Amino acid sequence: MRRYCRRFGGGAVSAIALLTVPPPNRLTAQHFSVGPQIAFGDYKEVSADLHYRGGGIAAKASMSWKKFSADVVLSKLTYKPEGGTATAEFDASEVDVRVRYYIAGPVSGELGFINRKTDPEFEAQSVGAAVIGARIHYLLGPGVRVALNGGLLAGSKFSGGGSVSPLGAIQLGLGLTVDALRGRLQVTGDYGFQRFSRETDDGSGPASAPIQQSVGRIGLAIAF
Amino acid sequence: MRASTWTVVTVALLLAPAGSAQTIQNPTLRRAQQAFDNLDYREALAQGRAALRERLTGYERARAYELLGFTYSGMDSILRSVDAFKQVVLLEPERQLDPNRTSPKALSAFQVALTQVLVVRQLVIDSVTFIGGQGAVPIRYTVTQPARVVTRVIGGATSLRIDSTVATGQVNLRWQARTPAGDPLPAGNYTIVVDAAVGQNNFSTSQPIRIAHGSVDTVAHLTSLPGYTYLPETEVPPKSWKPMGLALVYTGAALAGTSALSSGDLGKVSLREGAVIGTGVVAAGFVMMLKKPAPQPARGNILYNQLLREQIARRNAEIAQENTRRRQQVALTVAPAVRPTTGGVR
Repeated sequence: MRRYCRRFGGGAVSAIALLTVPPPNRLTAQHFSVGPQIAFGDYKEVSADLHYRGGGIAAKASMSWKKFSADVVLSKLTYKPEGGTATAEFDASEVDVRVRYYIAGPVSGELGFINRKTDPEFEAQSVGAAVIGARIHYLLGPGVRVALNGGLLAGSKFSGGGSVSPLGAIQLGLGLTVDALRGRLQVTGDYGFQRFSRETDDGSGPASAPIQQSVGRIGLAIAF
Repeated sequence: MRASTWTVVTVALLLAPAGSAQTIQNPTLRRAQQAFDNLDYREALAQGRAALRERLTGYERARAYELLGFTYSGMDSILRSVDAFKQVVLLEPERQLDPNRTSPKALSAFQVALTQVLVVRQLVIDSVTFIGGQGAVPIRYTVTQPARVVTRVIGGATSLRIDSTVATGQVNLRWQARTPAGDPLPAGNYTIVVDAAVGQNNFSTSQPIRIAHGSVDTVAHLTSLPGYTYLPETEVPPKSWKPMGLALVYTGAALAGTSALSSGDLGKVSLREGAVIGTGVVAAGFVMMLKKPAPQPARGNILYNQLLREQIARRNAEIAQENTRRRQQVALTVAPAVRPTTGGVR
């Protein structure tokens, strides 16, 4: 126990020292931040009766270098039935990778992919898609940045089959980053909305089986 | 009688300061002085002449002739007075009579005597410090008769002619203290010698000087230009509602987009997640609206400061060149030393 306390104390001191030292990346125009987030979401599939809500954890890493920037988000949410016909909860583990290139003004082009797996596998659809979109950002004030992004989820694949028209899968996002402790610590907030206008055909003709998810994430990040 | 009394008083006053430095030891000369003080001119003349036949120091001999000069002038024998004063001038070329304390007759006789002998008097060299090649040493002297006057500097193996001219009265020279090659004269002890010659008569006087070398002061570099100060390169813009407005626009776009893009088959769309994050964005925008805006670069001031820095850098470059030149220069200090002897007839 004593040993644990000693180790904890050293770690705390190291963390404080890390947070109080001005980040050297300010000089090199390279930014890297990583930190945990709390996630909460809303998931609907096929009809309003299959409605889930849940929460979980996420981790977000951001990097910028010259005109490039990238975000990687790993999240795991446990969705529980929210009324309707759904009876079993499931876990949704998602990987969201975005790479951006600054174009002009506040606009950046965005490419990436998402991959969401569900467990148990047949409680909801696992999804994979490429992201093609754009992002605009604005500096609200010193250390406070807000960003809005949107785009298509191209080439969507589902574990239960089905297809989406080229413009049928879209995503939308809102992000907020607030610097604290001279930029060493960041408070992050992200909102992501996905809609897949999925259609299935079991031999009796096309049937609409849309998927829609809204996720909010709030967390902290340490900048390097 | 009154004139004689006045003469006696002035002579006594004139002799007093000289006597304080060197005293008259010869008894005959003392008696002559006493007789002069008692206005017994004949006795003063007899004793004065007798004293001159005795062994006297240079100072005593000069005083004896001076006493004769004053006595003759008191007896209105001007020619003899002039002859006596000529001997005084030859013995003590620097001798001056105070015009406020000397009788006009004696004073005029002394002035006439000065014009009848060739001497170089009042050789003065001022102390001066200057950069070699950019200044000069003031030298002045007085020649009592029109004569060829040659001024030289002598020291060790150095013997340089400074000036050669025919002059009378006061002569002013400016000597640059350089060798014939143009280099500054090496540091050391020198003697300025002034030779005057006319016919068979010649006279020489000298003044020792010391020349020292030193480094030339350099100019300090500039950190600012007088009257010009740097301006702040950032300025705080006035508060604006823009952060709040943009936060509302961004949040509204996200929520409206969510609502518009949601599938109608899935019922009412959930705006809970977007509302939570949007609330945070709006709150941040509100705080930023109230907060003092971040300083923005002031382009005009930046350009002004850049021009100022370039101006200072250019001036410092000039100063650096000037200092480089100054470090190669020599500061000459010329100061007169104690004169060992006065001049004399050769």
